[in-house]
Amino acid sequence: MMISRKPHVIGKPFPLIEAQKKLTGVTCYAGDETITPDMLHARILFSQRPSARFRLDNLDAARHFPGVAALLTGQDLATRMGQTIRDRELLAVERVYFAGQPLAVIAAETPEIADEALALIQVTYEDLPAVLDIEQALTPGGPQVHPDFDDYPGADALNADPQQNIAHSLTFTRGDIEQGFAEADVILERSYTAAHLQHAPMETHGGVAQRQPDGSLTMWMHLQAPFLQRKIIAQALHMDPAQIRIITGCVGGSFGGKVFVSVEGALAAIALQTEGRPVRLLLTREEEFAGTFTAPAMRAHVKMGATRDGRITAIEATYDWDVGASVDAALFHLQAVALAGTGPYAIPNATIRSRAIYTNLLPSAPLRGLGIAQVHWAIEQHVAELAEMLNMNPITMRQWNLVKGGDRLFPNFTMHANGLQTCGLQVIDAINWRPAAPAHSYHAPPGAAPKKRIGQGMAIGWSPIILSDQCGSSVSIRIDKDNLCDIIVDGVDIGQGLYAFVTQLASFELNIPVEWITVEPTDTANYPPDWEATYHNLLWSTGHALLKATAKMKRQILTYLAKVWKEPISNMDIVDGEIISYASRRRFPLLDLLENGAGEETSPPVFSVTATYRPPNAGGSIDSLLQSFAATAYAAEVQVDEKTGGVTILKLAAAADVGHALNPESVKAQIKGGMIQSVSFTLLEEMIFENGVPRSNNFRDYPIATTADMPQQLHPIVVEVPQQSGPYGARDLSHHVQVGAAPAIANAIYRAVGVRIRDLPITAQRIYDAMQAKRAEEA
Amino acid sequence: MKHEIQLIVNGETRSLTVESQQTLLEALREDLGLTGVKHGCSTGECGACSVLLNGEVVNSCMVLAVEAADAEILTAEGLATDEGLHPLQKSFIDHHGVQCGYCASGMLISAKALLNRTSRPHEEEIREALVGNLCRCGAYADIIKSIQVASRARR
Repeated sequence: MMISRKPHVIGKPFPLIEAQKKLTGVTCYAGDETITPDMLHARILFSQRPSARFRLDNLDAARHFPGVAALLTGQDLATRMGQTIRDRELLAVERVYFAGQPLAVIAAETPEIADEALALIQVTYEDLPAVLDIEQALTPGGPQVHPDFDDYPGADALNADPQQNIAHSLTFTRGDIEQGFAEADVILERSYTAAHLQHAPMETHGGVAQRQPDGSLTMWMHLQAPFLQRKIIAQALHMDPAQIRIITGCVGGSFGGKVFVSVEGALAAIALQTEGRPVRLLLTREEEFAGTFTAPAMRAHVKMGATRDGRITAIEATYDWDVGASVDAALFHLQAVALAGTGPYAIPNATIRSRAIYTNLLPSAPLRGLGIAQVHWAIEQHVAELAEMLNMNPITMRQWNLVKGGDRLFPNFTMHANGLQTCGLQVIDAINWRPAAPAHSYHAPPGAAPKKRIGQGMAIGWSPIILSDQCGSSVSIRIDKDNLCDIIVDGVDIGQGLYAFVTQLASFELNIPVEWITVEPTDTANYPPDWEATYHNLLWSTGHALLKATAKMKRQILTYLAKVWKEPISNMDIVDGEIISYASRRRFPLLDLLENGAGEETSPPVFSVTATYRPPNAGGSIDSLLQSFAATAYAAEVQVDEKTGGVTILKLAAAADVGHALNPESVKAQIKGGMIQSVSFTLLEEMIFENGVPRSNNFRDYPIATTADMPQQLHPIVVEVPQQSGPYGARDLSHHVQVGAAPAIANAIYRAVGVRIRDLPITAQRIYDAMQAKRAEEA
Repeated sequence: MKHEIQLIVNGETRSLTVESQQTLLEALREDLGLTGVKHGCSTGECGACSVLLNGEVVNSCMVLAVEAADAEILTAEGLATDEGLHPLQKSFIDHHGVQCGYCASGMLISAKALLNRTSRPHEEEIREALVGNLCRCGAYADIIKSIQVASRARR
């Protein structure tokens, strides 16, 4: 493993490369794409019913409305989309499976004309029974969301029970669960829920598509997974992936919502109908909420047993996810949940189920936190309550049971050295933990004035880093006199700082100035048609590919000059942009070489390399693709107003084990951002459906955290236990920073006012109602 | 109905023809090409389209272009001068005040309005000034720090 040989680059603050463009208004986002002045504008007609047969009338009036270039419905284009299972239609054909499903797409001279024309279409629904929650979905004999499930391409790949609306089910077991509970002195069973969430990026979904003269399609899209989208769209439109070119640009937030195809399929389809005129689609905020994806809602049941001395002997947990009417985008989520399902504890006897349940709601897609945050919502409250039953300090109880390096967890995976203990200890230290603080018990006499009460809570979490088969990455570097150093990566910068990371690493490895390096946005045309680049764990995949590419590049440059100098390259190196020989003490500035060549070679050289990284166990089982677990911990100090149930977060600390912080300030910025987003998920956010129709369509009905919701103190903590196989010992951060916030806050609320909230979000109303109930019970 | 109006945008007088129902946001983005002003919600809830109108922060999606006739408008594009970036822009770069960047121009405008009123704002005042600017990346802490540092650097 390589550790910083040039500490002024790796491990030191490095500004985000894209920041200047973003701050001067130069960066192009989806709504800024203007391919030609005569661009057309697409609008989509979305279903208003969750489950119905439907008919579209008056289509000709819409089609011939002045200014309309093209109109498509499911009758014109009956096709299905999906990566693993094609369980959704590009445009609904005869029936709708969820409100927000595209029924028709139109292209017109202006968005206003498109809207006017769409309004001419008469939609007649004949309602069918709808499945609106997990309970109803699992009721035997109830309506089936997908009666034709077995006919969907890819259905065989899933462990489904379509009659029960179970789209997919994963189970991990170890030990002997019955024996485990028999050994336990106490057993605690609880249910926990978490609401549907929204990704709610500030930039809504959008982009431009244009048919080329040869019949191929070019798309300028601002999304997280261009290769995956190319594959899904090509398959749906019966095209060769080579016929679709996706040029990416800066993404104004994704959080998982711009990975899978939602409305992009309709854009591609309509652009094939406009005789080469480019078509722009840009969703309104309302459509972004009600016409793309949600994150799945959870209903969990956890049963845990422990001995009197605090050893957890068994866990049986079922995590059911309401994935809406399509499971395709949620499959990765299910895997992550199954692997993380015990929480960070070495429990010898465990049965963990992770199930996707179909309902007639908006399809779900992974959201930052991947469901692992919700798993810990359950586990970390459960362990705290169990500790209380045993009269134990909850921190001691956690410490005794935490997974340690060397623990064998899954058939193919042995736990590595990890930062679980360190993260846990550092967060409680950061908020000045008061170890002896007893759980509050509500003893206020009737009529006593309500108070504001303070409590502390904590949670530890782990998140699996799974390198799925699609976790390859490819990096191309070209060095010449015109562009100096141009780097093309297949990942997309969604604000996480990918381009800064690439620049920083390339500068360090090639030992050239940062200013020479330009990172180009991904263009799928540069890759083979079957290429599936990663869209997550980029530090790992792109980092490894980049290390290979820079090594190749360095060798290519040195070999060129070695021939001229007639020296072995083993004596040569690049230092601060100069090629040097340690043996002959010769030096040659790389810029001179690029300008004039060297020796007999007087034409300017062009150096070009491509390197590809593939995960080591591609094609293997899930647990063989498991690379590591990232550790996180949260601690919170909250104040609860007994009068209203309102919560103020006074202090929030989060620690994340990132292996090796290559850009510490950037890591801290990501941690802080994750903390705010977690507070938002925990206290504010809930996607409301009314009879299956999304009712949270704007930031009033779906508030997200503002500066007013920030904790008074934020303590981001970077923990570094090197990830032996990661680039420079580093580990990805992304999802993991969401894990642990919600239960830490819930545990703190319990300490403050003695009530446990087991349903997310923790609203003031829920706290108030729980306090009332407790008061009634004690009276 | 069409209206001939003038706007003084980032110090430059611009003439344009707008429809009655056209918003200032649309006029700035589509007619004047100032795409640094972002569209986020069209309902005045997210602040991505914030601009200064005669020195006051407005959501440009909530103002009709005709209402802004003859007004002085400042957008994020107008912050930098020939001498270089505005201290706020520099500070946002140095202190990670930007992640995905979609909210950044609106944040800068709200910050500029604050610094016009108060040269050395307290953290509480900054939080209050930014309450109408949403950032889904949750970069608020670093945005606040960026503004604080910029205010201290100013003469």
